[in-house]
Amino acid sequence: MDERESRRTPVFFMSIIIFMLIMSLAALLLAIEAYLVQGKLEIINIILSASALFLAAYMFIQIRKRSISLGFETLKVSTVIRCLKCDYKNVREFEKGDYILRDAGPCPKCDGTLIIHSIFRESKEKD
Amino acid sequence: MKSVVDMQVTLQVSTDWLFQLIWILAFIFIWVYGQRIQTILTLKEIEGSLSRLKNMRDRGRQIVISAIKEIGKPAEDPTPRVDRLLEHVDIEPVSLDPTGIIRRLEHIIDVRDFRLKEEVRQMAPQADEAQINNLTNVLEAALALNHVYKIVRHYYLMGKKTLSFYVILQIQMLLPLIMRESEAFANALKAFTLGQPIGDGAGALVAARLMHGNKKRLIAQDTILSETQIEGRKAYVIKAKGPGGNVGKPGEAIKQILEEEEGKVALIIMIDAAQKLEGEKTGEVAEGVGAAIGGPGVDKYKVEEVATKYKVPLSAIIIKESIEDVVSTMRKEIVDGVEEAINRIKRIICEGTKEGDTVIIAGIGNTIGIAQ
Repeated sequence: MDERESRRTPVFFMSIIIFMLIMSLAALLLAIEAYLVQGKLEIINIILSASALFLAAYMFIQIRKRSISLGFETLKVSTVIRCLKCDYKNVREFEKGDYILRDAGPCPKCDGTLIIHSIFRESKEKD
Repeated sequence: MKSVVDMQVTLQVSTDWLFQLIWILAFIFIWVYGQRIQTILTLKEIEGSLSRLKNMRDRGRQIVISAIKEIGKPAEDPTPRVDRLLEHVDIEPVSLDPTGIIRRLEHIIDVRDFRLKEEVRQMAPQADEAQINNLTNVLEAALALNHVYKIVRHYYLMGKKTLSFYVILQIQMLLPLIMRESEAFANALKAFTLGQPIGDGAGALVAARLMHGNKKRLIAQDTILSETQIEGRKAYVIKAKGPGGNVGKPGEAIKQILEEEEGKVALIIMIDAAQKLEGEKTGEVAEGVGAAIGGPGVDKYKVEEVATKYKVPLSAIIIKESIEDVVSTMRKEIVDGVEEAINRIKRIICEGTKEGDTVIIAGIGNTIGIAQ
């Protein structure tokens, strides 16, 4: 990617936006002046002013538009530990070295074997 | 007094004309250069995405290097080797003469996997087998990010050179999908580094649950087989060897079992994660017929070939998930889907076979973070 080019583009667009804003202001002033001096409502100038303002705003939003997510966010991952004999269940945060079906020591309830039953992340995303 | 008002009106009319002229010129400018402005705007949009892709690529590269340094404790800096591997290319076999293309494709895939694992092994001498598999997965995700970045950059630069609206349009139309997939790969890097199970491992998790506590043996490269009893039927359960990141060779394993049993198998059930359509729920389970297995097609071909040879019915169970979920840490809904899939397997076996029959159950997918 050309670094110089990427810097030049916003300048070009910003000049168009500024030009649009000046034109919009001028059209609006003309409309106000016409109304004050002649007492007539200049619809064309008002429409021109509004459309130039809208175009400038649209262009500005387009330039500024950036997505926030980079895909490297830390996710909350849980590890579920279950006893093979009784109904003992413990949910804790994922620790490095955890994997499903790994032995997790003796059960505090019945002295049976504990295993990592599942590892998952809670997601707030909508389907 | 009257002449002052007249002068004001005259001035008003002349400035009106001046502004009308500027507006007309502005519209002519937009009319003539409208598409060019649109092209520049589109290029600007692609440029933003490209810069995000570059960030992802760079972060991915950094994650690979630090994971290798942390896990593998290499004597020398792995950076030049990682940079060389990120430029790795796979050349597909020639398809002009399609005879034996699957065999040739399998050979190329085997060579590629072997080469990547060997490179990782040399870079990370302290890593165990599971860690080498995980690091290979991390490297592959970073490689995919690099590849995507380069393709988008190619179209961006080509569009900028030619200023052709249609060249730019092609990449702009695909950009939202490309970004979704890249974000998924960026998430995958974290999951692979930590050895967390991913959405693609849904099928492997089903098989792991079924074979847990039974005797196991290696049936094909990186593929585990276990014999168990389900509803009075003899069940051969297959999955890739975990907990390292592996997909194994389920096609080869099914072929071997059928050859060993001389085709006397009543049913083959394959369970895999499948891409959901928008609007469908993550973790939803669906049934069907056919070989439920993705990838380049080598294993699918083998399963279809051997099942057809012995006329064994093929049942498929799929657990639905989005493209982002496939390579990122397994979601709770997918774990729930796994439990539902196990119930479906039992129902299918009861309905489709008799007591004493033999069935094959193959859990397909990357088994990272899932033992057996």
